[in-house]
Parts: sequence; C-alpha cells; structure tokens
Amino acid sequence: MTVHPAIFLFAASGLAVWVPRLARAPLLFCGAVSALVAAVLLSQGAHWSYTVGDVQLELLRVDELSHLFGVIFTLITVIGVLYAWHTVQRGEHSAALVYAGGALGVVYSGDWISAFVWWELMALASLIVIWSGDTPRALAAGYRYVFVHATAGGLFFAGLLVHLTFGGGMALGPLNESGGWAYGLILTAVAINAAIPPFHAWLTDAYPEASITGTVFLSAFTTKTAVYLLIRVFAGSELLVWAGVAMALYGVVYAVLENDIRRLLGYHIISQVGYMVTAVGIGTPLALGGAAAHAFCHILYKALLLMGAGAVITATGRRKLSELGGLAQRMPVVTVLYMVGAFSISGVPLFNGFVSKSMIVSAASEAEFTSVELLLTLASIGTFLHTGLKLPYFMLFGPDRGVETHPLPQNKIIAMTMAAICCVGLGLFPALLYGRLVFQAIDYHPYTTDHVVASLQLLVGTGIGFWLLAGKLGGQATISLDTDWLYRKMTPPVFAFAVLGVNGAGRWLEHRGARFVNAALRVSANPYRLLGLNRDLSAGVRGEPFDANYYRFPIGVSVFWALTGLILLALVLW
Amino acid sequence: MKIGPAVSTVLVLVVMVALDLLADPHSEAWWHQLPGFDLLFGFLGCAGIVIVSKALGKVWLQREEGFYDGGDP
Repeated sequence: MTVHPAIFLFAASGLAVWVPRLARAPLLFCGAVSALVAAVLLSQGAHWSYTVGDVQLELLRVDELSHLFGVIFTLITVIGVLYAWHTVQRGEHSAALVYAGGALGVVYSGDWISAFVWWELMALASLIVIWSGDTPRALAAGYRYVFVHATAGGLFFAGLLVHLTFGGGMALGPLNESGGWAYGLILTAVAINAAIPPFHAWLTDAYPEASITGTVFLSAFTTKTAVYLLIRVFAGSELLVWAGVAMALYGVVYAVLENDIRRLLGYHIISQVGYMVTAVGIGTPLALGGAAAHAFCHILYKALLLMGAGAVITATGRRKLSELGGLAQRMPVVTVLYMVGAFSISGVPLFNGFVSKSMIVSAASEAEFTSVELLLTLASIGTFLHTGLKLPYFMLFGPDRGVETHPLPQNKIIAMTMAAICCVGLGLFPALLYGRLVFQAIDYHPYTTDHVVASLQLLVGTGIGFWLLAGKLGGQATISLDTDWLYRKMTPPVFAFAVLGVNGAGRWLEHRGARFVNAALRVSANPYRLLGLNRDLSAGVRGEPFDANYYRFPIGVSVFWALTGLILLALVLW
Repeated sequence: MKIGPAVSTVLVLVVMVALDLLADPHSEAWWHQLPGFDLLFGFLGCAGIVIVSKALGKVWLQREEGFYDGGDP
C-alpha cells in the first residue's frame, strides 16, 4: 500500500480543532492508529515523486530504514495520544500530531528540499507543544528553543544551498568530508537537533517545561529524526564516535546533579542518543543496525519513563526529587510500569534496552574501538545508577514525605501499559526487531552467557555502589549551569553592550562631525580669506555707504581662474 | 549491622563470579578474560561517576534555584 502515513495525522489534527471536546480525543486516536496501520503496511520500494520545474521531489521513499522509523514514530504517537486522552486543551495535541507528521515527513523524504521543509514544520509544531505548557517558564523556554532551532534551520538551509550549488545531487543521501562547507553546515545543523553538546541545552531547557503529555511527544521525535538523518547522511564519520561518547557521559554527569525529575530524564535522552551517535560514527552494518534498533527501543522506554514521571507529577503536583518520596505504596501500578522502563533503559536482560544497547557496544568492540567500548559501559553504569536506582529510590521507594496523591486518569495507565508491553516484548523476542533491521542481514545474538553475565555483574556492582553512596545522592534544591548559560545570562550584557556601544559610537561621530563642519566653515565661508583678499563683510552693517568697488576683486583674480581653467582643460584634452 | 543483607550480597557476588568462570568470553579485550571484572567496574564506575560529578557540581555547576530568574527574557 502506498499512502503517506502523515496524511492521517494532518487530517485528524486539522479536524480535531473544530469538533466538540468529547469527539476530539477519539478523532486524534483514530488518526494516529490509521497512521500506524499505514506505516506498517507501506511496501518497501514505494515512492511518490513529483517534478516541479526542473527539480525532482520525492515525498515518499520507503526502504528498511525509513520503514522502521516510520513504524516507531506512529506507534509512539498512538501511545502519546492515549496518554493525553483526558486533555481538555484544544490545540496542544493537534500540534503534537503535526509534529509527528513532520517527523514522518523527514523520514520518508527522498530529497533534500522536502526533508528541509518537513524539518522546519517539525520545529514550529514542537514549539507550539512547548508553549502549550502554558506557564511563563514554558513561554520563555519556548523562545529560547525556537532561537536554537531557527539557527539549526538556517545552517541546514545554507548547507543545502552550498550542496546544490556545487553540483550535489537532489537525492537525500550520504555526504562525506569532501563535501566541504555543505558537509560541515548540515552536520552542525543535524548535531543541534541531535542535542550533541555543546548544542544540547535546548533539550533539557525546554522539554521539562512542556505539559505532562507534551513532553512524551517531544522526547520521541526531534532527536530521533536527527539520528535518522545521521544514519542516512553521515554514517562512518569518525568524529561522531567521540562526539557520541562525550554525549553519553555528559548526560550522566548532569543527571547526578539534577533535581527536576523530567529534566533528569532529559539528560538521559542526551546520554542515550550518545550511543546512537557513536554507532553512526563507527559505521559498520552492525553499528548502524544498532543505532536504528536503539532509537526504536529508546523511543519506547523513554516515553514510558516520562509517562511515569508525568503520572507522579499529575498525582502529586510536585516535580522535584527533593520534594518527593515514598510513593510506591500509593501508586503501585505506576511504580511497576516505571520500573519496566528503568530496567529497559539500564540494559537489564529480558528488556528491550539490553537487545539494542549491546549491539552498539559489541559493534564498538568488533571495530576495535576498545576505549569506546569501555566508556560506553561506564555511561551504562550511570544510566542504571540514575534512572534505575536514584530516581525510583528517591521518588517512589525512599523516605516517605507524606505527599498527598490524587487519582490518575485510567488512560494514562493504559498508555503506559502499552509501552511497557512493547519494551518487554522486544526484550523477549528481539528477532521481531532484528528481522526489520537494515543494511544487510545482521546475525546478532544478544543472549549469550558471557553477555548476560557481564550485564548482570555490571548492574550488581552499580547497585552496591548506590547502596553505599545513596546518602550522597538525594535531590538537592539547585539547578546546574549548562551551555544555555551563554544565551540566558550573556544575552542582557551583550545586548546592552551592543546598544550602548552603537549609541556611543553614533554620538562620538556626531560630535566629531559637528566640530569638523565648524572648522570647515571658517575656511569655506569665505575662501578668499585664504588668498589674502578678504573683505570685511560687516562694513555695510556698520552703516557705511555702499561702495561696489570695495567688494570687487582685482581683475587679476579673474584672469588667474580663467588661466587655471584653460591650463586644466588643455591638460585634460592633451 | 544486620547480617542478612551482607550475607545475601556476598552470596550474589560469589554466584556472579562463578558464572563468569562458566561463561566463555568471545571478546578480544583482555578485561573480559578476568573473572568478576564487570562487577568491579560497575562498582568503581558508579563511585567514580558520583564523586566526579558531585565535585564538578560543587566547585562549578550547581547554583541556587533562582539563578536564572529575572535575567530571562
């Protein structure tokens, strides 16, 4: 079948703004389910292309990679809409569906221009999702978000122009370093969207400020679309290996310090995307398959974790670790579902993170990036430490702070259960995922004895570490400086400097100009003064009788000018 | 100190290392040949992450919650 799945999302999104409140959620849900069905049924090799002028646009191009990303994007849209079923607000989830549609658009684009247009649509729609958080903080974070993403869009477009100007093909395909500026500009733009430090702060700044339901959508699309583009365009760029490793560890360090539960999970998005970026850099079939598989699994468990954190925030009205604790008994279902997500992200055997993360680590080992393997394992320790131990301990199990809880809407639990089933299902039957993987038949078996034992040892070792250090890990009521400091704190001084500086320069020029005019006036008012032929012009003012001869110049002056003119004329003509 | 958790922890550790001896590592890196390496790495890595991050936070990164208020557009 060849229907672009995004069509269903756009249709549902447009209609949902007009229908009465009761019909809105079912309509959005139907749109999302239709899109999922369409994405699953899309046949390999299907494509829609159009010729506009002499440009060949390809709106739909289906191969294994775009098929895989299309399926997970639509699946998470279904789960997200279900999680948001009870929402009253009119526009937010229409925007979320447009956002999902934009992500699908990028994934199915076969040419650069379509990809760029969809990418920009995604940025705009996600901005509306963030602003729907409807707080002053969300508004401010949204402005910062769009500032960063407008920059990314500009770089992408500039790179695209360079690429096309110097004879690059219209088809969306691999670029390499010989691409020069086009390569650099597009890579930077995609790196911003993939949240590679130092370009990552928009993510942890804006995502936790969106609404509870909005964050779930946000976590899925922007960074993973960037990962898709990295796989498609930049596979094998070795720079990315180290960028990815740095990313994986960067997120871990900040997660130690973070107090806001959704921001903590945001830092772990960065950390997890680091694995994918590293894998893209390694570029072997196993690594690229691992990147795609990890993106697939990550979307599921990260959404589950954020839905769990969102459920806690909905129930308690609190979002900081230092204000939460002891909820496990009052929210047992949420606790179990959250833990499924936590075990998945930590790579516990039988959960989906294990089957995808181990592909990447094995790929690093096979490609003889030994230090990369070790550093990714270290990041993996951090992941379990925070998402699997610290967050649940201080949020759900630890000291009870007597927090009051409100009942949760049932649809939230249903959505979380769906995501949890997917996480466990893929962990138990990894063939479901591996069978759809890309590039070439990948013969990979995660459940070997040494893998499982090594993973368990790592988890137990980390657990003991946490047990001994738990006292130091409680939430502290602080925030952490990150690269958003540059545009949050430095904007006012830079702005003031620019305004005062320009004003000052203007005033200085004006002053100097006036003095120059004054000085020039002395000479230019009466040039004959320079020739010693000055006449006192105030004679008439003093009441002396007018005498024309007094003002008349000697005939010699006229002769002088006439001769000078003649000589000049002769010189020019000669 | 309660004896239960300590005994069960030691038991788990012993089982883990024993399993390692049974497993047949098919990786090249030398550390995969050492029994119990991942156990130790997990523990030291965890401690390292906490100590380094906390130190960074203390001397540089952590600020009071109102740090950005008022300065924001």
